Formats: sequence, structure tokens, C-alpha cells
Amino acid sequence: MRVIDKEGEKLDLLSVNIGPSHPATHGSLRAICAIDGEKIVAASCEIGYLHRGFEKMVERGTYQQVMPYTDRLNYCSAMLNNIGFCKAVEGMFGIELTERATVIRVIISEMSRFIDHIICVAAALADLGAQTAYFYLFVPREEGMNIWEKLTGARLTNSYARIGGLYRDLYEGFEEDTLRLMTLTEKGLSDVLGLVDRNKIFLDRTQGVAAISQKDAISYGWTGPCLRATGVDRDMRKDEPYYGYETYDFDTVVGSTGDTYDRLMVRIYEVRESISIIRQALKRLKPGPVNVEDPRVSLPQHINAYQDMEALINRFKLVYEGVHVPKGEHYDGIEAANGELGFFIVSDGTGNPWRIKVRPPCLTQFAAFAHLVEGAMIPDAIACLSSINIIAGELDR
Amino acid sequence: MSKFDYTKALVPSTPESREANLTKVFDLLASRLRIVIDPQEHCAKSAIVDRSLLHTAVTILRDTPELGFDLLLDIVGIDYLNYLDHQGPRFAVVYLFKSLKVSGQRFQLKVLVDEEDLVVPTISDLYSIADWAEREVYDQFGVRFEGHPNLKRLLNHFEFVGHPLRKDYPATKRQWLSTNDPMLDQLEARLKHNGFELLDPVPVNTPAVEDVIKGSRQ
Amino acid sequence: MSKAPNIPAVLPSDTNPLSFMSTSIDAVINWGRSNSMWPFPFATACCAIEFMSLMSARYDFARFGTEFMRFTPRQSDLLLVMGTVTYKQAPVLRRIYEQMASPRWVIAAGACASTGGFYDCYCTVPGIDQIIPVDVYIAGCPPRPEAYIEAAMQLQAKIKDESFMTDRLARLRDRGEDLPA
Repeated sequence: MRVIDKEGEKLDLLSVNIGPSHPATHGSLRAICAIDGEKIVAASCEIGYLHRGFEKMVERGTYQQVMPYTDRLNYCSAMLNNIGFCKAVEGMFGIELTERATVIRVIISEMSRFIDHIICVAAALADLGAQTAYFYLFVPREEGMNIWEKLTGARLTNSYARIGGLYRDLYEGFEEDTLRLMTLTEKGLSDVLGLVDRNKIFLDRTQGVAAISQKDAISYGWTGPCLRATGVDRDMRKDEPYYGYETYDFDTVVGSTGDTYDRLMVRIYEVRESISIIRQALKRLKPGPVNVEDPRVSLPQHINAYQDMEALINRFKLVYEGVHVPKGEHYDGIEAANGELGFFIVSDGTGNPWRIKVRPPCLTQFAAFAHLVEGAMIPDAIACLSSINIIAGELDR
Repeated sequence: MSKFDYTKALVPSTPESREANLTKVFDLLASRLRIVIDPQEHCAKSAIVDRSLLHTAVTILRDTPELGFDLLLDIVGIDYLNYLDHQGPRFAVVYLFKSLKVSGQRFQLKVLVDEEDLVVPTISDLYSIADWAEREVYDQFGVRFEGHPNLKRLLNHFEFVGHPLRKDYPATKRQWLSTNDPMLDQLEARLKHNGFELLDPVPVNTPAVEDVIKGSRQ
Repeated sequence: MSKAPNIPAVLPSDTNPLSFMSTSIDAVINWGRSNSMWPFPFATACCAIEFMSLMSARYDFARFGTEFMRFTPRQSDLLLVMGTVTYKQAPVLRRIYEQMASPRWVIAAGACASTGGFYDCYCTVPGIDQIIPVDVYIAGCPPRPEAYIEAAMQLQAKIKDESFMTDRLARLRDRGEDLPA
């Protein structure tokens, strides 16, 4: 299509689709671009290729049955989504978790977070051409998945958290496995940093590419590592601490320019902070129950159900009718790997959710994609896309 | 207005400080506009505002220094068809705000709309994310946002008929799509927005889609 | 197709003394095809993450000849559909399948690709076999990498059962021609 640009020059533009089936689109996204040579002059994005109807599906079951659906939102760090949902429901009840459950949720959150960051960095570097980094970083990832398999039974979509606590307690040997995982992660990260830290090609391809200002990032609703990369020092774990995060000693990693380099580096250094939090949390683990003893949310023990009529009825009603969440509307969020993941729950007092809306961090990041890539070249657009860590499951729900 | 320094970390909030913040926000907003405490609320206070005052209310929330709600978290649509003993308008649109200037300050604003007059003014001129968030509410519920630059479906395909998250839309009613949206009109709008002047009219369909249509007519 | 088909000498049959040739040709062709199935990863959702684990060092899918993923259907034989296919995605999947040259095979990886998974709703296609023919289905949500490997081995067994010569004759018959005598 022929156009005249602002300076009055005649250009012949080509309209090209990036996606929905593209090697570098993580998940199915589509950006239709008008390009002048390799430079993108206008872009318009389309999502919804993985819209699976989370919000309609959860209205058909009980609150406990929402858990597997939340797993598949951000499937790289599934347990963070579980914990986010459980936190929102527990907030409606106003119940406090047991101490052991709190510490375990912190450990699992941080582990999911750093594994999500590892996958993002590995995929981003593979998109830039550095395939070796992908293999190096997937070694700790496999180790992490082994641990999750021993802990929850599933490698990827775990459904570990339950309303009022957790699925089950940690297995014996969890601490050694986790320490070994962290050693492997640190080694993998230092190997990868050794490859790219002062690599001219990496620096040229990521520094100054697709930068965003603080004002624009905030206007687009960015949260999480992408916002921190622009220099805004906000982290829900610091500003609105939950699960005892105010007692852990960690720093928020903040960038300066908000370009692709900063977004990737913020993630890499956040892995190190997460590892430090896990080390502190492991020292705090004390024996105790993991599920709160509240008949409104927690299933009574099996042995009690066999002996006591009330426990039997309680178990039956909790499973069959669902957890009766008090009537009302409540929003609660956690600091997930990509930003603030929130759940807005509307309850009518029964065990069947009336409305659950997910506030996906990826949506805000991708909404700004057109703004980020206009003026950049197509390879820069690819580098940018992998640095904002779009997970289609969360974007489209 | 002096530029706020976001690089300085905030003092961590406590549940008490969050409660105090909420009361402060509510009082300040109530002193400027006519709002009502939402009786639906269970865990946090939120305000119901009339849709004609929505834009003013959001401007107050964003621009007043003590409030400083610079982050629009989300826009949620709710359908209250057959909800317990609900009386009044069927739909609600809830705006979730967060302040990055004051630690632990959040707010919810609700607008109630009737099914017959399902229009709400847009706030996409105040927050860039409202563009897509409002498109999603339109897609799933059918709420039209007056003044929105590009009110098209976001998640469902462009041949979808109906609004799936409404309570009277059956969950398993499936709709096939024949061919993907060419999106050339949106690209044209974007080019115009970026200051380009088009010499040829942009075709409605891409050449591949034209082939499909021509082939199916034969 | 009014003429009686003229079965050439090289096809397998009980009375054909030269049928060993076609079975040998078939064996060679199938050996080549089954050991170099170039994949097109049509990755949409969570199953793709298990596929990423599959391609990494521990499970090493490249052993099966599925070495480098060619993200273009024109150079691939194997369409791996991993993840949920929605109605918005369906025309895209159909076009990609049509762009692949035969021989082509399709593996529906995971519950969502096989049957729609637990997303029984307005936007999910209940199984990709509504759109394209599928050779192997993998169960799991997401399937373990070992399940992918099992599926690849089953597909290899299926390929070894194919007969290039019989297929060619069937295609020619469909067109109303015969193999040259």
C-alpha cells in the first residue's frame, strides 16, 4: 500500500502478519504490521487464539474445581496461580493460614517464579539465536519439575494449593532436593551470563530496543518485572506484604531504561533474589499442620469421617456443594512472575462461583506491544516480544 | 505538576494503613461527587457512581495528588441475572484502581447499567489499558463504551454472535469461524493515527481471503 | 475408469514372483520417512512447554530424526498440534495442514487437541479431528515427554505399515489413469 509519511515522502508499505503461528510468538498472538523494508511503521495486535473460556467454565463447578483451570493460566509457573486464587478466596473468609502453610507457600511461590523467569530467559535467548543458553537453563528446569512431580504428582500443571492450605505436606528430602536445585540454577545462570553478559551481539540486539517510558508503562497498567525494568520500584511483596514477606531479606531488582535488555536482566537477577528467599524460608520450616482447621474450608480427616457423623456430613457437603464462600465481591492479588495476578470474585453465598475475573499481567504488557514496536525493525519486535514474557494461557484465559 | 519519583521505594503498608487509606479515599471522593457505598461489598468498601459522573470521578481519582490512582488494574463486567434477590440494573462494570504513589491504596468503582441502555462512557483517554479492557467487557457482555476509538471484539472471533459471559448464553453453544479477520481496516486506522496519509484505499480483504471467497462462490 | 486395471508386475500379490521388489522399495522408503519425521510444532498451550522439555537434553526428541523444528509447514512432515485449538485458531490450523506436502502426519498431543480437554465451552474445538485427519493421539494434560516419545514410536510403526506403491496406484486410479504397463 502506498502512503505519504509525515515528511511528505512517498513510501510503499507491505502488510505482514507476525503470527498467529510463528516460531517466536510464545503462544498464539498476532500482530499485523505495515513495514517499510524491515522497519515497522504501524502495528495492530490481535489476541484470543487461546481463549478457552476460563471465566465461563468456572461458573459451572465448585470453588475447588476452579483449581485446575487456574493452573493452565500461566502454565510456566502454575502454582503461583493456584496460590493467587486461594489467597483471594481465603481473603473473602478472612482466615489465616497455618504457619507451615505460609512458609511452604512462600517457598513454592519463589520456586515457581524463578522457574518462570528461567523459561522466559531461555526462550528469549533462543529467539535471539543463542540456543546453547536454552539447553543450559533447562537442566535446572528439569530438576525443578522432578521436585514438583515428587511433591504434587504432576510435572507442569500441579494444582498444589487448596483453599485453607495445601494439597499435602512436603515430602521427606524436599529440602535437600531444593538446595540441589538452587545450586544447579545458580550454575546454569552463571554459565548463561558468561555467554551473553558482555556479548556484543546480545547487547546490540537488546540495549535500546523497544524502550518504554515510566509514564507509558504505568498508563498501560504494567506491573511486575517489566515495570521494574523501567525504573519504577514497586513490588507487591514489598508494598503490600503477605505471607510474611516483610520478614524476609531481599531486594527488588530495578532497571533504568525499560528496554529489552533491562527486562531480561531484571528477570535474571530476580532469580537470584528468589533463591535467597527460599534459603531463608527453608530455615524457618517448623513441623505443624498445613491445612487450617476450619470446617468451612478444610476437609476433615478421613479417619474422623469414618467415626464421626458431623465430620462425614462436613466432608460430603464440602466436596459435593463446594466451599460456601460468603456473599460479596472481593479482589485480591499476588505478585506473580509477570506482575500482579489478581482474581475478582463475585460470590452469591453458595459453593458455586458467580463470577471470577482474572486480572492477567500479560494483557497489559501485550496491549503496549504495538506502541513498543512501532519504529523498530522486525527482529527487534521479536526480541521485545520474548522479553515481555507473554504466556498465551494467561493473556487469553 | 512536579514529576513523581517512582524509583524510590515506598514504606510497606499494613492492613491498618490500607484500611485508613480506603476511608480517606472514600471521604475525599464523597466530598466531591455523589457516590454511594456499595451494599454488595463483603470485604472492601467500593463506591457506586452514576455513569454520567464516571469520567469526572476517574479524573479526580487519577489527578488528585493525595489519591494518585495512576494504575488501572482491570475493568470487570458482571451480569446479575437471577442473582439472589438483586433488584436494579442487570449489569455492572467495576473499575479496579491501584496507586503507585501511596503504598497500599486501592479502590473499586462500580457503574450499574440496564440491559436496555447498555452504554457507559469510555475512560480510554485517561488510561491506555482501558482500550483493551473495555473491548473485553464489550466482547463478553455487550456493554458499549461511548467514545471508544476501536470497539471491536478482543477474545472471541469476529464472526461470533452474542456475548458469551452473559448468564443466558449457554456455555456449550459453539460457533465456527470461516476465515480469520484480515484486520486491514485496523491497520489503516493505526497508520492514520501515526500520521501517514494513504494514497490507495486499503482493501477490505487480503488477497488470500479474496481467493477463498471467489472460490466458494463458484 | 472403464478399463480393467492393469496390475503391474512390481506390486505385492500372492502370485507375483517380483513382489519382493515393491516390498523392498516400501521398506526403504518407510525406513527413511520414519527416521526423519521433520516436525512442525503447532504449539498453542501448556503441552508446548512439555514439548520444550522434550526437545531439551534429558528427553532428546532429536533421536527420532525430529532434529530441528522447521517452523514452516512446507518443509515439514509431522504436524504436532500441542494445546487447545479454539475456533479462532481453527482456520489457521487448516491452512497450515493444507500447506504441508504429503507425506504428512498429524499427532494430536494432549487432551485439548484430542478432544477439547476439560474446556467444554463456546470457544474450544472439541478435538482437532474435526478439522484435520489425525494419526496418533496422545493423552495427558499435559502428557509427559515419555508419552510423546511413545507416540512417536507408534507413528513410526504406522509409517512402516504404509506402502508407497499401493498408495501411488490408488491415487492414479482416483485420477482415472493406470501405471504404465
